[in-house]
Amino acid sequence: MWQREKKPVVGVFGFSGCAGDQLAILHMEDELVDFFTSADIKFFHMAQSHQEVDHVDIALVEGSINTDKQLAELKKIREKADIVVALGTCATHGGIQYLGDNEKEFKERMLLVYGKDGKIPEFSELVGNPIPAEPIHKFIEVDYSIPGCPIAKENFIPIYTKLISGLKPTKYPYPVCVECKFQENDCFLLHGKFCLGPVTAGGCDACCPNFGVPCVGCFGAYEGANFESMIEKLVEIGLTEEDAKRKLMMFGGKATELALKGEK
Amino acid sequence: MCQKFTQISTFLKILQISKILELNSKLLYCISLKFSIFRRYPYRLPYKYNFKNSLDMKTYKMSKDRFPEFIEKIKTKGQLYGPVKGNGKYSFEEIEKFEDLDFDYQRTVIGPKKFLTPPRYQTLRYDKSGQTDVFVSDETQIVIGVHPCDIHGIKILDRLFLGNIKDPYYEKRRNNLIIIGHSCLPDENCICQSTGTDMVEDGFDLFFTELADHYLVWVGSDKGLSIAIENEDILTEEISEEEIQEYVRWQQKRSEMFKSEIPSFKYLADIIHLNYDSKVWDQFGEKCLSCGTCSLVCPTCNCFNVEDRISMNTEDGFRERILDSCTLPCYSMVAGGHDFRPDRTSRLKLYYTHKLKEYIGRWGQPSCVGCGRCVTYCPVDINVITVSKALYEEVCENQEVCE
Repeated sequence: MWQREKKPVVGVFGFSGCAGDQLAILHMEDELVDFFTSADIKFFHMAQSHQEVDHVDIALVEGSINTDKQLAELKKIREKADIVVALGTCATHGGIQYLGDNEKEFKERMLLVYGKDGKIPEFSELVGNPIPAEPIHKFIEVDYSIPGCPIAKENFIPIYTKLISGLKPTKYPYPVCVECKFQENDCFLLHGKFCLGPVTAGGCDACCPNFGVPCVGCFGAYEGANFESMIEKLVEIGLTEEDAKRKLMMFGGKATELALKGEK
Repeated sequence: MCQKFTQISTFLKILQISKILELNSKLLYCISLKFSIFRRYPYRLPYKYNFKNSLDMKTYKMSKDRFPEFIEKIKTKGQLYGPVKGNGKYSFEEIEKFEDLDFDYQRTVIGPKKFLTPPRYQTLRYDKSGQTDVFVSDETQIVIGVHPCDIHGIKILDRLFLGNIKDPYYEKRRNNLIIIGHSCLPDENCICQSTGTDMVEDGFDLFFTELADHYLVWVGSDKGLSIAIENEDILTEEISEEEIQEYVRWQQKRSEMFKSEIPSFKYLADIIHLNYDSKVWDQFGEKCLSCGTCSLVCPTCNCFNVEDRISMNTEDGFRERILDSCTLPCYSMVAGGHDFRPDRTSRLKLYYTHKLKEYIGRWGQPSCVGCGRCVTYCPVDINVITVSKALYEEVCENQEVCE
């Protein structure tokens, strides 16, 4: 029988974000023991205290890049990792912190938050100098992306287990609507209610619509999304075009911003 | 260009002739309805015997107030499912008591195909010792309240999954399924009259037609007959002339209730063929959200994706079939990463040409059963009616002839 020669070395790295994706891994209580035994977890920001690692087979990277120090660290991770997986919407799309980029220039925003000169001298040594929030694929080559805010267990496990078994996960983009229909939910859009299901990447098992809450798009943009038609539909149900775009931008990040500008 | 023009003109000629023929077919239908009402539920054309289960098809009558009793009795035969209302939609759910059932429904989100090809199901499981196929248990599933269009949908699925190569997972589920149909009245989204699936001759075990104070019950299979015989204290074979008249009136009333239709449905295959490169497709492609809803809710759509799932311990796992949709971006992707249909227009064209053109070429019947689910559930109004109307208008430049 085929067996892996040795356990792959896995590192879980975190940058700017709520660390919810690392927490989501730790919350998989039924699989947690298997998670720590099926691979050699050498680095886990949230779960381990002492961390030293020269090489990892698989790097799970969470969070967006917000400072130059993080950027240097990210580049180091790319050098020592064979496979880099972006984990969560912050890493794959830029997340909520990308939201402001549409509005004002970065310097203006810094002034708005940090006062007159827009500098944070006492922290800059510790966290580095701030740069506009970006998804990690902006700076390094990313092999796989697992979006989610936070990641869904059902979506994460099949991809992760394939990777640690030395297999290639298959790419199959689909929107939230697919799993929503599996659950036979009534469509919000048909009743003139707001929902971003058709333009949002699936994998969450439509957990919000299942409980009568419309999709807000936390998994980021779906690869086949038709934003023009979606905005038209949202305008039809009573939103202004500007509002519709802002709703789309909430978790949409870079990909949505480019699509909305028509530069896709 | 010249060739296309001649094609169109012949097509228009056929259309003119059909106007005369249509009258006759309606007449024929009325006559057949009058004389052969007892044999089976629907009568459109002279009856063709199904020799496979050559039963003498029986018709029973059941008083409405005995229906709860019948439900209680049938529940002992297996797990009962039926239409249940919940959160503004209907779906087939497990039935605990008679009061849960609501037969006054138009359509469920996903039809009875979910009992035969569920959205997600395991086909294989493996661990260190080897692999085993996963089949459902032998428990009988009974679906009650299935409308004629959905029964036609199941017949189409049967043709695909139980043809030359039988799908063992489908076959097992199908053999364990008892289908009890129920009559319905159409709403503005029902187009089964155009597709010719508003009535059903076979494919069910029992079929209930609801009249004022009783049901007429048609038997459609051996299984159905045995249920009927077991319940002979509830069902009676005595049907009076008056009740037949009531049924005929009900049929007429129902057929007049249809508000939507697909224009010139008979020639839709030709219309699509002539319009294959039409700009109409691009217009729909621009609008399509590529969300997959149309095919997920369609009672005849059955494409599935196969995924291997490995457990976290990497030592065991399972193989899963997931309901797929041809309107999703990577549906036509092949090994090596080439995608034959990367744009929405070509995927939408695939969906509609398969449903309304190619399937007719293969089986002599479209794979649309007119249930109106795509009409109801598409958020941007791309459905069988809008697509066929746009194509029809495109081909009929001479509006007078097409009227």
